Amino acid sequence: MRALKKEADERLLIEAAQQDPARFADLYECHFERVYAYIVRRVGDRTETEDLTSEVFHHALANLRRFEWRGIPFVAWLFRIAANLIADRWQRAGREVADGSELEAAVGPAEIEACDRRATIFRLVELLPVEQKRVLVLRFVEEKSIKEVAREIGKTEGAVKQLQFRGLTTLRARMEGADA
Amino acid sequence: MPKRSLNQGNNEARKIEQLNQAVDSMLARKDGKAPKIAAAIEPLVRIAAELRNLPNASFKARLKSEFEGKKKMATITVPAPAAVQPVAAPRLTFKDAAKAIEFYKHALGAKEISRFETPMGIPHAEITIGESTILLTEEWPEGGRFSAETIGQSPVWISLQVADVDSFVDHAAKAGMTVVRPPADQFYGRRDATLTDPFGYTWAFNTLKEEMSVEEMHRRMKNLTTGPEGGRMPQPKSGGVSPVPRGFRMVTPYLVAEDGFSLLEFVKQAFAAEEMMKAETATGVHGEVRIGDSMLMVGGGKAGQKFPATLHPNALHVYVKDADAVYKNALAAGATLIDEPRDQEYGERSATVKDAAGNFWYIATHKGESYMPEGLHNVNPYLHPLRAEPLIGFLKRAFDAQEIAKYASPDGVVHHAQVRIGDSVVEMGEAHGKYEPMPAMFYLYVPDCDALYRRALAAGAKSLHEPKDQPYGDRSAAVTDSFGNIWYVATHVKDV
Repeated sequence: MRALKKEADERLLIEAAQQDPARFADLYECHFERVYAYIVRRVGDRTETEDLTSEVFHHALANLRRFEWRGIPFVAWLFRIAANLIADRWQRAGREVADGSELEAAVGPAEIEACDRRATIFRLVELLPVEQKRVLVLRFVEEKSIKEVAREIGKTEGAVKQLQFRGLTTLRARMEGADA
Repeated sequence: MPKRSLNQGNNEARKIEQLNQAVDSMLARKDGKAPKIAAAIEPLVRIAAELRNLPNASFKARLKSEFEGKKKMATITVPAPAAVQPVAAPRLTFKDAAKAIEFYKHALGAKEISRFETPMGIPHAEITIGESTILLTEEWPEGGRFSAETIGQSPVWISLQVADVDSFVDHAAKAGMTVVRPPADQFYGRRDATLTDPFGYTWAFNTLKEEMSVEEMHRRMKNLTTGPEGGRMPQPKSGGVSPVPRGFRMVTPYLVAEDGFSLLEFVKQAFAAEEMMKAETATGVHGEVRIGDSMLMVGGGKAGQKFPATLHPNALHVYVKDADAVYKNALAAGATLIDEPRDQEYGERSATVKDAAGNFWYIATHKGESYMPEGLHNVNPYLHPLRAEPLIGFLKRAFDAQEIAKYASPDGVVHHAQVRIGDSVVEMGEAHGKYEPMPAMFYLYVPDCDALYRRALAAGAKSLHEPKDQPYGDRSAAVTDSFGNIWYVATHVKDV
């Protein structure tokens, strides 16, 4: 029921964006994290991930009218675009892509689920209390030491460790809530 | 050891440290994989590993702005700005909006205005309660929209003014809402009640009884907390004698044991306390002893006889010249060792012992010019409430206490706080580990016991007995606060 409901919501958004490109921002807002999660796992590098994410959404917008609703999730379509763009880059960079099978496998339901999970974590970070969020971003995105974080936010190292613990504990609890 | 160290002695502190070490080694690895670690923190480290790939918020926003700027293809008519009045309406999220609509119709008399229903659910619906509109939608976690049920709470309450709050609450409760706070008259001119619905939202129902200005609300609030005299403490009723007997300060710890005689002996032997008074009573003994500049009341029953009152062991922070020596005396006098003397991070050397009656003694020598920190006394009561903030609030309202110091960790746990009540200082730290919540007992000498008694009740205390003249020259009353501490409120009216 919930899956069907999600589909209905998504379909409304896609149709709205097909009518009016300004509405594409809503679709982007819904899928940004998942697409980013998909790409970053394959590419690893932050700058390259950002470039590719940007390319995927621009490509999707340009081709949105060609997207037809056949029960395939919109995100699978985005992943296929991403997979192709990544493959293009690899070829340009002289890296080998043996055949297309790897890419086909890459957008299976298990992969979508894994990206969903990662994307949910990313979204939940946004909902954390400000201080917890700030510590997690400084610590994991900017990879700063406890000492550096403490100096930057003007708190003791003990307090930073505690905020780190609280932030991760909250995320975990909310992940369990989201999975339920 | 009255103050809690932030980094030791409890399980969570160890976990915080373990987690940080695991995070450090995870960050040090190029592949970002989590190293082998304790099972309890493993899920946290796994999430931490995912966060290394967290997208940059500014990148997300920048890219979004590229799509928001796209020109609209369809043309729509935009009404002239003047024709539209801004209207605000809350939009509540539910797991099942249809169920919520039915519930609100029944419980709150809501009317359904519109429902946009798809075969899979309700993305949008509108109801009104009276003339107010409330929008409803269903949750969509992938789109970042969560219901109050999923989150577990909502920080937003909905306030609803009704003609008769009592009958409204009655009906709503029968329909399935939970009454958190039943209807009560409030000083701000409303009778109100708080209820929660089955979907995680809180509602405040109220009926207006009296319109008033904010100034009037302030005036009434002040009356509420200072008794019928309107904030002025009446003149002392002491017939020419000091309301606080010689040698006492405002707050005096009152220790009572089943065997009062032994406790009295213990205090004298362990702390070289001077016995100022000792009176045998029908049930046992009442004594008053002095340790340095501080008086203590010590009493209780006779050994082997059941003492008729409930016992409230206290915790006391006692400053002495040589903590090690006094600690040895206390053990020799029969105390149990809790913590051996050691140098504490907060600038004193201290030990903790427990006497046979269950009182905790923090025996301390301050490191500085004097063995006693400035502003403190030889004996300072130390409270261990579950939560310090509400107790501090009560002491402020009831006894005019002033907060001198407070040390809390970022999670809000108050490890140590000091408040001044008149010329006395009361310390406290939230209960933890072997320091369980300890409701204590105090004697409080004040200029007007009757006024302070009323004020304590207004601040939320319960009466144990009303003010009455006692044969020993005090007029006294007794109250208990919601934390279980007992306060004898007394005015010394004549020397006997």
